[in-house]
Amino acid sequence: MDKSILSLTAGLSPALGFATMIGLGLFLLILSFAIKTVLVRNTHDFIIADRKVGFGFGVGSVIAVWTWAMAVMMSSAMTFRWGLSGLFWFVVPNGFAVMAMIPFARILRRNMPQGYTISEFVRHRFRRSRVASGIVTVTMIFGILLEILINLKGTSVVISTVFSIDWKVAAVVGIVCVLTYSYFGGLWTSVMTGTLNTLMVTVPAAIVVAAVYEHVSGGAAAVFAAADAADPRNLSVLRPDAAAGFGITLAFGLLAATVADQTFWQKVWAIKGPEVARTFFWAGALFYPIPICLGMLGLVGIAFGLSTADIGGDLAAVGPYIVSHIGLPLFLVILYVLAILAACYSTIDGASAALSSIVAVDVVKRYWPETREGALFLVTKLSILVGGAAATAIVLSGIDFTTLVLTTYALKTSILLPLVLAILWPRTNTIGFVGGVVLAILIGMPIYETQGELIGTLSIVAISGLTVLAAGFFGGERFDVSTLRRTADVVIADSAGVPIAEPAE
Amino acid sequence: MSAIFIAIVAFGLFGAAVFLSGFVVAVRETIRERRDGEPEREWVDKGRYGWSALFAVFASAVVIALAGVSPLWIYAGPLLAIVTATGVGVAFFVGSDKRAATPALDRS
Repeated sequence: MDKSILSLTAGLSPALGFATMIGLGLFLLILSFAIKTVLVRNTHDFIIADRKVGFGFGVGSVIAVWTWAMAVMMSSAMTFRWGLSGLFWFVVPNGFAVMAMIPFARILRRNMPQGYTISEFVRHRFRRSRVASGIVTVTMIFGILLEILINLKGTSVVISTVFSIDWKVAAVVGIVCVLTYSYFGGLWTSVMTGTLNTLMVTVPAAIVVAAVYEHVSGGAAAVFAAADAADPRNLSVLRPDAAAGFGITLAFGLLAATVADQTFWQKVWAIKGPEVARTFFWAGALFYPIPICLGMLGLVGIAFGLSTADIGGDLAAVGPYIVSHIGLPLFLVILYVLAILAACYSTIDGASAALSSIVAVDVVKRYWPETREGALFLVTKLSILVGGAAATAIVLSGIDFTTLVLTTYALKTSILLPLVLAILWPRTNTIGFVGGVVLAILIGMPIYETQGELIGTLSIVAISGLTVLAAGFFGGERFDVSTLRRTADVVIADSAGVPIAEPAE
Repeated sequence: MSAIFIAIVAFGLFGAAVFLSGFVVAVRETIRERRDGEPEREWVDKGRYGWSALFAVFASAVVIALAGVSPLWIYAGPLLAIVTATGVGVAFFVGSDKRAATPALDRS
């Protein structure tokens, strides 16, 4: 296949790009305003949706927050880089990571029915240890910032590739659009707009990918033959270099990205109790087709013999490049951009909602328990703007955010097993939890730096887990899970001005 | 236009219709529940998902592997993406049915 036939679809002007971004933002703003009017009355509604998120909204919103820019663009990129082995290692652990939440979500939702955040659980689990809960709170905040950063970057990649808009301008417009509607309704907004975004990602993606193959001379058979001719390994899922190159590390990273992420724990406590486990199963299973579908664009990139330089130097741009250069009608290109934007917006929105719950429960209520409802509500909402502004500043500064990525990675991977054991194993104690995380970072990260991702990741996980187990066996204490039931909802007073922030216990 | 493309567009429209109708039902139900203000009760969840989850993982791996066996399987991705939209639409109705099936006295 001759890549010289690829040319940018006519009419993809910067003005159209801005209209697409702002138009989607305005649509979601109107929706969120309506949601806020009907469903959001106080901080409790804002951060936990009154624990009344039903099954359908649960499934749709969990898919939405898990459908990062990563899922929609990196699935194509990994296929482009490693063939079907790349798609295999990218996709298979992805859905599993969502379903892996089921046992932990079920235990905590049942035993701590009035919970809000995973840091709050750690505080109660480890006798109010400031160090243990502090580590988890910081990890969650770093993770949320990273989610916003990555998806903001995703937004700017697709917009700059398709509409030739400066990526910095695209990032600013994108974050303004999301924060404007996130600010109003909190979790309810995130759940409902996110669910709608799931529709906007799935059906348009299916039609656009099918249309791309329709526009290739010879269709799927020609792409298949060209990818095979380029390298027969492109059509195999058994390339060991893909597994060693990123697959196994990604699998652990993805597990940490759900189990050690407040975005998901917020959903656990917001979804109706009996529906939690089923929601995460359906969401994990129904998530799979999204990256599989979009990953097929990577095969087209291989078939045309594209190089990274052809697509602007960023592997993630392969999907947007193909869609905007293969000759699709303008409206289909816009449909694809909307699908990517929907994925990015909903993840940023979900992360912002999670940040608001951390600020309300783990910061304001914890350190200033007498805060009045009006002030708490305002601070909670403002935290969304502050988080978005901080992430945007990091993106725009042009600084290499590798340090943030590595720090977040180290914290999340170090926390994974200690957190799992804290939920499942009553003998897990504070010394084991804190020691496991600290030793994993102090010893594991240097191994990661010197021995590479695979050995480094396995070392971090092993050190943290073994430390918790050793401390648990020698410590001898047992945690009584029934004490978690003593947590209570944020008490909402009437408008008389009585302090609302009763202690959570 | 090929038959498979037409089928994907038609199936996509069907999936979107199921999704949107479920969405409307769920929004109404959410508003009604908000007005009722009923607190959460004690609950038991005896669902088992281990084997189903393993099947989903295995099925996803098989679908990706099959895309390397025959070009026709490349279209499985788009078709399944529409199944996702349809599935979320069905989830709205499943959640709604469950509540409707609860005896009226239990709901009071």
